Amino acid sequence: MILYDYVLSPSCYKVRLLASLLVAGIDLRPVDFHPGAEHHSPEFRALNPAGTIPVLKDAELVLTESGAILTYLAAVNAHEWLGHDDPEMQARVANWLAFSQRLTASAGAARLHDMLGFSGDIDALRVQATDALRELEAAIHARRRRGGIFLAADRPTIADIACFPYAALAPDGGVSLDSYPSIRLWMRAIRALPGFIEMPGIHRLHEQMPEPGPMPDVVRKESA
Amino acid sequence: MSSIWIPVALSQDILSGMAIPAHLPGHDLVVWRSASGRIAAWHDRCPHRGMRLSHGFVRGDFLSCIYHGWRYGENGHCSKIPAHPDLVPPAAIKVPRFDVREKSSVVWVAPTGQAGEPVDYRGFTGFRSLSVNAPADLIARAVEGEERLAGCSVVLLVQALQGRGCNLHVLAAEGYDTAQLDGLSLAIEVLRRRLEQAVAT
Ligand code: FES
Repeated sequence: MILYDYVLSPSCYKVRLLASLLVAGIDLRPVDFHPGAEHHSPEFRALNPAGTIPVLKDAELVLTESGAILTYLAAVNAHEWLGHDDPEMQARVANWLAFSQRLTASAGAARLHDMLGFSGDIDALRVQATDALRELEAAIHARRRRGGIFLAADRPTIADIACFPYAALAPDGGVSLDSYPSIRLWMRAIRALPGFIEMPGIHRLHEQMPEPGPMPDVVRKESA
Repeated sequence: MSSIWIPVALSQDILSGMAIPAHLPGHDLVVWRSASGRIAAWHDRCPHRGMRLSHGFVRGDFLSCIYHGWRYGENGHCSKIPAHPDLVPPAAIKVPRFDVREKSSVVWVAPTGQAGEPVDYRGFTGFRSLSVNAPADLIARAVEGEERLAGCSVVLLVQALQGRGCNLHVLAAEGYDTAQLDGLSLAIEVLRRRLEQAVAT
């Protein structure tokens, strides 16, 4: 399996994260998204006409939507991550995979605006991101009222992985997460999963890292 | 009734070993709970280079800064500087603290050394905290005397956020079942939307 990947892309990170959690082997093929805009090249668009990343290629299968890629990885490697125990759970997962696109289109677009100077109505994007985060917060609180924390089941599923990165990186787009206590606890639960990996801006639980040594850790300061 | 005690979070939202950001008028705070369960509220600024301590991490009964790992004990004093393991940090390196109490499963914060205790809403417990994008005084007036929502007895606490609207901390009487609390959660969402629309028009 080959993942066409960009290290700073939260959508690519979803795939890398799930692969790591499932201990599934994938080969990374770096795409020079910025500044090279390689995803616009004729060669790349022959692979994915939409010119988006991530792309997963497995023999003749080419997948260009992160939700489909997560579904495929889980179906091949660890069925329980699909959340297909019963019709209700299955529908919940499908709903969250679709919902994750709203996070991408709002919080993700606000982040691209603020970090890479992409165009967009930043105020409108932040309002949309806030709406999506509020919906996520209410849903996680409902799970907490039932003794859970994950979105679709009493265990993590691809629904959580699909929604996690853009929610976690919302502050990069000027959307504070300070007033979302249930999202904070949910992100903490995901960051504590065995096999969790980081991307720039998203850290594992530091409680579980080794004591800092004599050399200073190099840690990105918040861009607030 | 006005009180110097400000509700900044619900107890249930800060697990042992967690540090979270919170706000008082004019101050950013880190509120954190030690492994032994004790809660503390400090300035959200590391004395070393100013990093937000709410990005830091808790080990045992210490809060460590994420930037260079300076470690602070519950009295706010720096107890360890990893880059200089043999140095005993000078007593002057100290994070300013606030007074903090947990009552009715609400975390209350006040400047140190003030008299009085926060209100104890006996029989109530923290339900949800949520932000409202509208000025705190308007919201406080709008929800004043609001004691029932979706058939549940509630207490609504408004916390002003500087330039960022306010937080609403909702307490519910103890003993409701899941269906009743689902109804309450929806009613809170409706209330927030109404309040924000009223301010916007
Ligand atoms: S800024 Fe906190 S340890 Fe350096």
